[in-house]
Amino acid sequence: MQPLNTSRKGVQAATGFTRVPLTPVFLAEGNGVGGTFLLAPLFTTTSIRSLVLICLLLACACNSGRPTRETLQTTREITDDAGRRVSLPERVERVITLAPNLTEIVFAVGGGDRLVGNTTYCDYPAEAKAIAKIGDSLQPSLERIIALQPQVVLITTASQLEVFTQQLHNQNIAIFVTDPHDLEDIFRSIERIGQILGQTEQASELVKRLRERTTAIEQTVQATKPVRVFYQVSGSPLYTIGKEAYLTDLIRRAGGVSVTADVPGAWPRYSDESALAARPEAIILPTGGSMGAANSSVTDALRNSPAVLAGRVHKINDDHLARPGPRLIDGLEEMARALHPEAFKQ
Amino acid sequence: MTVALSDPIALQHNRVTLRKTLVSCALLALALLLAVILLSLVGSEQLPAGSSLCALMSLGTSPCGLSQDQFDILFQIRLPRILLAAAVGGSLATAGASYQALLRNPLAEPYLLGISNGAAVGTMVALVFFGANEWSRPALAFAGSLLATFAVYRLARGRAGATPERLILAGVIVTTFLSSAIVFVTTLMDATRIRSFTFWLLGDLSGTSKALLPFTISIAVIGAIALTLNARSLNLLMLGERDAFDLGVEVGRVRIVVFVVASLLVGSSVAASGSVGYVGLVIPHLARLSLGSDNRISIPAAALGGALFVIVADTIARTIIAPRELPVGAITALVGAPLFIYLLKRV
Repeated sequence: MQPLNTSRKGVQAATGFTRVPLTPVFLAEGNGVGGTFLLAPLFTTTSIRSLVLICLLLACACNSGRPTRETLQTTREITDDAGRRVSLPERVERVITLAPNLTEIVFAVGGGDRLVGNTTYCDYPAEAKAIAKIGDSLQPSLERIIALQPQVVLITTASQLEVFTQQLHNQNIAIFVTDPHDLEDIFRSIERIGQILGQTEQASELVKRLRERTTAIEQTVQATKPVRVFYQVSGSPLYTIGKEAYLTDLIRRAGGVSVTADVPGAWPRYSDESALAARPEAIILPTGGSMGAANSSVTDALRNSPAVLAGRVHKINDDHLARPGPRLIDGLEEMARALHPEAFKQ
Repeated sequence: MTVALSDPIALQHNRVTLRKTLVSCALLALALLLAVILLSLVGSEQLPAGSSLCALMSLGTSPCGLSQDQFDILFQIRLPRILLAAAVGGSLATAGASYQALLRNPLAEPYLLGISNGAAVGTMVALVFFGANEWSRPALAFAGSLLATFAVYRLARGRAGATPERLILAGVIVTTFLSSAIVFVTTLMDATRIRSFTFWLLGDLSGTSKALLPFTISIAVIGAIALTLNARSLNLLMLGERDAFDLGVEVGRVRIVVFVVASLLVGSSVAASGSVGYVGLVIPHLARLSLGSDNRISIPAAALGGALFVIVADTIARTIIAPRELPVGAITALVGAPLFIYLLKRV
């Protein structure tokens, strides 16, 4: 069965068939049926032998024909957030990012000139818009990525790209996965991306500055009473942040406490009645920015919550909160100012 | 086969059927009422049962010692959601029962035939292009389900007539085609909304709109009554269109009525809750297995049973991993898919 497997992978690569929707069930419904139908006629006894032969030939052709990517002798290893040991060439010249926060980090540590591809969502800094687009985080084009000949592709776990990772690995392209669960993780990913790009000093400098700003904010709100916050990721259906979300940590640092801090997962689909019963004192609506007008109103279940009655619904630029990168500290400051305006008066 | 009023046996038979219908429907209605009341007491938040019952019995006129929040949970969140579940379940099961009778096919089901997907495409188009107007959703969902229905019906009719296999195959083709249409429409949306939509596609009853809820319930009730009134013609149609015609059934008219009313039922429920699968398959079969295949009984019984089934399924969906939630479609499919396999083996 080995040759058949290779051929199928070949077909996938050729058609760029790497779409990974959010729900596995959806995938099974959408593609599973079609796939079986297409493959069924291939498995007749008469054609199997010739098929195997063709596949073998193709496999040979592919192996011999593939341009031998320059495998540098001097390599180094870095462990990523998924616990994988990633082998990298000593000097990284070509990078692709598959999420807007990673693009922002690459630019912030001074590696923007080596960014050869990013996603359609990557709109900051302005230079990021001019870089070749490889699709979006969930539906990147494998062909485009390979054609851009990156040495490293930076991804987040949000992309859910297991199959895809394997295919890039087969092309000798290194994958570095980030998966931050708190602010420290984000600082660490900035430092690691700095290491990958050989911009260690600039990255440490950046992290140092971000840490100072964080500490200053934390000290400002230190004496205040924590505000009970509900973070509305989307209103209908209701999504919020859970235990594993870095935003839960961010809210804590901004002088609040997420009412859903103990809910398992990072982005749970949340019960309307539990949201109502939580009686949040403040609601944070990440909206605006690249999100536009989406998520700009409080969900019905919280219409009579203490937060709404007291006028404590805070709209904060989604780009400053939904992208775990350097601008998250802007989001932290905006959140702290919204939750504790009195502390920032002096 | 002539059913003359003077025929004592036929008259006797009709009377038995009528009594059986009334008794079984009364029992099911009672069970439904009990389910609505009892399952209102269950949820991710614990409410005092006695006070909640008292408040429910007073129809919301007296809080019976419930706090404002508890009262809101009961009357603003739980009860509307349970009523929507009932309307959606009733609509889908009624539609399924009448498709099965009309197409003489035990596997005909809105979800499997791609009719729910047609409605889903309509709803999504409405959301993308006419997001502000919430009435555009049921309107376009209805248009979508009607188009999908006719597409499946056309594709399924071969020279040899519509065999069950051919119908299911037509359903698969329409479903996959519409699935890609759904994927296409999702690419028109921004990233943050896609997550909500994939959840919605698997059936989600939480987004109860105050304006659409009474509409969805009315459509369910009117649709179930309209199709029950055509049950006798459907009984005769189960003999074959030719025989039914010979027995005086206006085949063309009945077909149009069933297609339009069933599409309306599927459209309004998908617009309100996404695609809740398998309800239209499981429930009509259970109704026929326990009450016989007379559509005059099985259609109203399926309507009530479907309502009951989705209420129970949604209660599981909203409590099993509380305070998080599952899409209700995941629960109905968990029950429905094994039953589908069982039926497939018997056909």
